Amino acid sequence: MNAARGRTARWLPAAATAAVTLALPPLLSSSHLSIYILLGLAAIVTVGLSMSMGYAGQVSLGQAAFYAIGGYTAGLLAVHGVPPLAGLLAAPLAAAAFALVVGVPLLRLRGHHLAFATLAMQLILLSLVSQADWTGGAIGLQGVPRFSVGGVEFADDIAYAYLVWAAAAGTLLVARNIVTSRPGRGLRALATSETAAAASGVPVGRYRLTVFATAAAFAGLAGGIYAFYLGYLSPGSFPVLLSVEYVVMAVVGGLGTLWGALVGATAIVLLVQVLNTIGTQPGMPAHAPSVLSYAVYALLLVLVVLFLPRGIVPAVRARLDRVHTADRAGRATTGQHPSTS
Amino acid sequence: MTELLQYLVTGLGGGCAFALVGSGLVVVYRVTRVVNFAQGSFAVIAAMTASTLLASGLPHGLAEALAVAVGAVTGAAVGLVAIGKPGTPPDASLIVTLGLGVFAYAVEILVWGDQPRSFRGVPGAVDLFGARFQAHYLLIIGATLAVFAGLGLLFARTDIGRALSACASNPYAARVVGIDVTRMGLLSFGVAGALGGLAGILVTPIQLVTFDYDVTLVVGGFAAAILGGLMRPALTLVGGLLLGVAQALVAGYGNGAYQLEVALVLLLTVMIWRAARQPIAQQEAA
Amino acid sequence: MLEVSELTVRYGLATALDRVSLTVGAGEMVALIGPNGAGKSTLVNTLSGILSPAGGTVTVRGRLAHVPEGRQLFPDLTVDDNLRLGGWRVRNRDTGPIYDVLPALAPLRRRRAGQLSGGQQQMVAVGRALMARPDVLAVDELSLGLAPLVVADLVRHLRTLNAERGLAVLLIEQNARLALDLCGRGYVLEAGRVVAAGTAADLAADPRVAAAYLGAAA
Repeated sequence: MNAARGRTARWLPAAATAAVTLALPPLLSSSHLSIYILLGLAAIVTVGLSMSMGYAGQVSLGQAAFYAIGGYTAGLLAVHGVPPLAGLLAAPLAAAAFALVVGVPLLRLRGHHLAFATLAMQLILLSLVSQADWTGGAIGLQGVPRFSVGGVEFADDIAYAYLVWAAAAGTLLVARNIVTSRPGRGLRALATSETAAAASGVPVGRYRLTVFATAAAFAGLAGGIYAFYLGYLSPGSFPVLLSVEYVVMAVVGGLGTLWGALVGATAIVLLVQVLNTIGTQPGMPAHAPSVLSYAVYALLLVLVVLFLPRGIVPAVRARLDRVHTADRAGRATTGQHPSTS
Repeated sequence: MTELLQYLVTGLGGGCAFALVGSGLVVVYRVTRVVNFAQGSFAVIAAMTASTLLASGLPHGLAEALAVAVGAVTGAAVGLVAIGKPGTPPDASLIVTLGLGVFAYAVEILVWGDQPRSFRGVPGAVDLFGARFQAHYLLIIGATLAVFAGLGLLFARTDIGRALSACASNPYAARVVGIDVTRMGLLSFGVAGALGGLAGILVTPIQLVTFDYDVTLVVGGFAAAILGGLMRPALTLVGGLLLGVAQALVAGYGNGAYQLEVALVLLLTVMIWRAARQPIAQQEAA
Repeated sequence: MLEVSELTVRYGLATALDRVSLTVGAGEMVALIGPNGAGKSTLVNTLSGILSPAGGTVTVRGRLAHVPEGRQLFPDLTVDDNLRLGGWRVRNRDTGPIYDVLPALAPLRRRRAGQLSGGQQQMVAVGRALMARPDVLAVDELSLGLAPLVVADLVRHLRTLNAERGLAVLLIEQNARLALDLCGRGYVLEAGRVVAAGTAADLAADPRVAAAYLGAAA
């Protein structure tokens, strides 16, 4: 009886979330829809990053680079007449390919060395994109056509909202499968101690590269959708600060938990919107929005790291576990049979 | 020939800034094993402070000195948040410094706005073997050499310096011997703040400083410091100067737009080369 | 000299030391033996001020210096700097007297501590502790990983320091035979509690202690 309840309870929150998020788009106003879309895109990138940081212990300060690669790949292909679906599928592949190539030398590094290396990677990429003519240079790539599949054009925001939902759902399923599989457990060993993992026969190099490339692919997919949604890309859309935002989302939500990625992305995106609204009220100075957002991200990141080091989701889970165990312990000592309560 | 000399001097000047920022990273890393992402912000804040003080009438010299002091205080404050809470692991402190660097943006924009700033340095120009450059470069290079010599003496000859090295070498043993490791950590952050601040005020006369200049400085500083594994000031100086000169040569003989790439590729190359020579277990322990 | 009373130390929810009491008188050499994980190092770390007790008191009449388990030197610093740092608490920079007491260290002054042999490092660790001009020396696992001849040499130095200067010693050892041979009194610590105490002779004669720590054929 309890076992069955346990199993149901486990997939209930996920199913409920899926249902609610699926039902939302038609109910939202157009400005809220664009927030929904951005949130979904952020969540997709953060899931990959959270996996990379939480499971493989790889801090990346350059995740926005893969987002950019995905966006530019899809955008450039579409601008040159390639069918959008092919462009969208090429986006994660291009990002993953780049990650595989760059990852071989880069992943020899650990900890803060890797953090700086990924930062350097993004800066180099941004700089090169700004200076190349074929990417539109510093001005950017304009006129990316709308996404279409088999002649059906995605003209409204609501279509993109569903596209993002589908991509997010797919990404989460893939991530969950990776994490619960045997290689996934090998990954978790990596996060704690690489030497121990290697000693137990985990093919460390291969796993790290796979996680790195998978996270890149997720970010690339999100970038591709972004390109079609916005219709316009520029290097300025992918600053280093964006990578820092993704890190904040992953850390605040809880590294290495899929729910954490969702919670973190939601919290940060909504928070940014609130701050933007406050910052653009009449009477606020011109740079109020940026000051507020920098200050709030930073404080949030610092407070979470210092006081909720594992992030919101694990902290909440721990609290719930304690209540649940105390509850069960209470029932056991008073001899109460659950079905009679 | 005169062109080459000119590039060398400007390169050395720029490289000194990286060396100073890098030395700040080294001081903090040695003692606390924390990589301080906010290191560049100390320079920016000091530069902005100096420009405000100068604009409000304070004389040269005093304004810069006060600005460096502001840098030191900022450094100590960052340190307090990053390592003040007992039990914070270095990786968490790293992310905290990242957050504080972003927070610094908010403060900088709030106080000084988002426009670039500069102020006059040492006036006049100098002729050396036919190459002409601003006299200010001599100040930059001279000050940097003096500071590095001072750092070397500090670590090797003074009690406090030895204590700092002890914390770097074996924090547990430092505690056994009665050294307050946290206080030493805060001191190292304060020193790093002063070093960063010095870099900021030295470089502003030759370089417009905006609030996001800290990224350039911290990446360059890291590239310089990584040559010595974030542990050796002397190699940081060498690294910084090499980096500065490489950038100047690329800008002069090649394309000025690729300066950043030069720094980054150098950084990556050195890091990966070092990593290839170090077994994983050692890297994990570091 | 040293009085520990009802000392309780916790790591989170686990109790590492449970109402431990022991004393070390002036000029005494006292042994603390027990198995791995008994809490011996926890005790010394508390005496040294690195850990804070949850209950009980530690009273030191004079100064206590700690020779940590596994030497714990500053490997990148020279022997001389290592010694000098030992005098941090008392602002003592004069390493000369240490070389008088431990002459084997004199030729090693400029060497990096990390490059020395285990026995040499142990000697540096003792010298470093002596720089604090202690009245009580707490030595944690002196013999760990060292050859018997090297240990015998170190023990000789400790005995001399005790006899000539009245330096009290608390010797924490897994090697019970060594500890009970050297010291006049001892305590046995198991799972955070003192389970036996008395003169060294009494402890050695106690059949339980003998069986557990000295080998049945004591």
